[in-house]
Amino acid sequence: MDSPQLSLSELQGMIKNAMELALPDSYWVRAEISELTVNRSGHCYLDLIETDSANNITARVRATIWSYTFRMLKPYFESTTGQLFSEGIKVLLNAKVEYHEVYGLSLNVRDIDPTYTLGDMAQQRRVIIARLEEEGIFDMNKELELPLVPQRVAIISSPTAAGLQDFIDQLHNNPQRIKFYTKLFPAVMQGKEAPASIIQALDRIFEYEEFFDAVAIIRGGGAQVDLVAFDNYDLAFHITQFPLPVITGIGHDKDDSVADLVAHTRLKTPTAVAEFLISTVEEFTSYLAELEQQFVDAVNDRLQENREQLNNLLNSISGLARMRIKDEQQLLQISELKLKTGLESYFQEKKNAFHLLASEIKSSTGIFIRHRQNLLARSVEKTRFSTKTINWKKGNELKTIRHELKYKVEDKLKFENQQMLRLQETLRLVDPQQILKRGFSLTYKNGKLLKSVEQLAKGDRIETRLADGTLESNIQLITQNS
Amino acid sequence: MATKKISYKEAITEIEDILEKIENDELDVDELSEKVKQVSALIKICKDKLQKTEEEVEKILEEMEDK
Repeated sequence: MDSPQLSLSELQGMIKNAMELALPDSYWVRAEISELTVNRSGHCYLDLIETDSANNITARVRATIWSYTFRMLKPYFESTTGQLFSEGIKVLLNAKVEYHEVYGLSLNVRDIDPTYTLGDMAQQRRVIIARLEEEGIFDMNKELELPLVPQRVAIISSPTAAGLQDFIDQLHNNPQRIKFYTKLFPAVMQGKEAPASIIQALDRIFEYEEFFDAVAIIRGGGAQVDLVAFDNYDLAFHITQFPLPVITGIGHDKDDSVADLVAHTRLKTPTAVAEFLISTVEEFTSYLAELEQQFVDAVNDRLQENREQLNNLLNSISGLARMRIKDEQQLLQISELKLKTGLESYFQEKKNAFHLLASEIKSSTGIFIRHRQNLLARSVEKTRFSTKTINWKKGNELKTIRHELKYKVEDKLKFENQQMLRLQETLRLVDPQQILKRGFSLTYKNGKLLKSVEQLAKGDRIETRLADGTLESNIQLITQNS
Repeated sequence: MATKKISYKEAITEIEDILEKIENDELDVDELSEKVKQVSALIKICKDKLQKTEEEVEKILEEMEDK
């Protein structure tokens, strides 16, 4: 073998020199971070890859960011992109190719262009959104109706997150003292495992779908940001398909992640989520109070209406009553009038009866007087006869007896005369003439005493006897008492 | 009559229905007093549910913890 022999280090040195000659500059390289470790000294070691559309690795190289560079680049990158400098992201790096005799080839990263990552993230997000839209599921969680009172809240968060306890305290100590029920379903909230961990938590909540009103995915405030975890198709898909409204408060101030975009309600921070839940319930309580007021008003209006109706009824009743009273008064007046005429005719009737009685008395008195006169005449005759007889028989005794007799006769006559005078006085009192003098009258038709208007017809001629004469008249009007 | 299990939505819907009936003069006075009782009960159920802790619910939460 004439060919010269090289030691391994000589060869490595040649490669190193050749590479330095061939690749003297630094280059902007697009790559995806496949692995990332930071050692104790603060040096960052990366495994960069490139994949094709089928996700096959088509290139791979190691890279290093020395600690003094990394200390500046990391915060710059993260604050610009709102994304952790971590595995899984695509980056545009400025690097120099270096070759080390022991460690071989690696890229020495000197700078990073965060705008590339931002663009890539946006691009990824667009792809995920387009896919979700294409599948027609993008709005599915938004279409769910948030219960009127989201009182039972399933929380997905990291149990160690600082914001978690604040969130729970805020919910439970709300000013309206609304009772909230919360339950934490722990999950990893950043890095590569985050999407799967959150999906797992969602699956656990799914078991209690009936129990909860809403899911709150929250991440405590702080510097740590990791959008890529939430710009994930699988997680977004699970959120869209979840049967409960999902509310996000995953704390980043750049663009909304896809998880935010597909969530029912997206909010910036856990505090905002708590405020949202409380104000939703407050909206309900004030609506309830409003309904209560409306109800009270409506009932009062209704009662007022009824009172008015009642008053109207009362008014019409008293109007009717007044009319009725008026009618009754008229009837009463008519009755009064009828009674008056009735009384008059009653008195007339009585008067007639009285006349009749009077004439009867008169005739019976006449008979009585004649009878007495007869008796008296007979007595006189008898006495005269007896006297004659006695004269004849006892002439002597005659004088005494005559004398006696004379007295007796005189007494008797006197008595009889007195009796007669008394009778005459009685007669005078019951004499119809006297009654007529007192204003009563007798009415005759064809010489017959009238006792009823039924005996009469209009135009009849009647004779009325008064005390001092008679008069004749024609009937013009007959009113019969009812 | 409303049960304890009635949801907020059911309660509100019922109150709204009754309110509408009253406003449209569809209830007579006798029914009105019945409805006043019903609505008061519904409002009370809602308020209790909003502010009072339901033991049942707490118990379910505790059972989740055990898993």
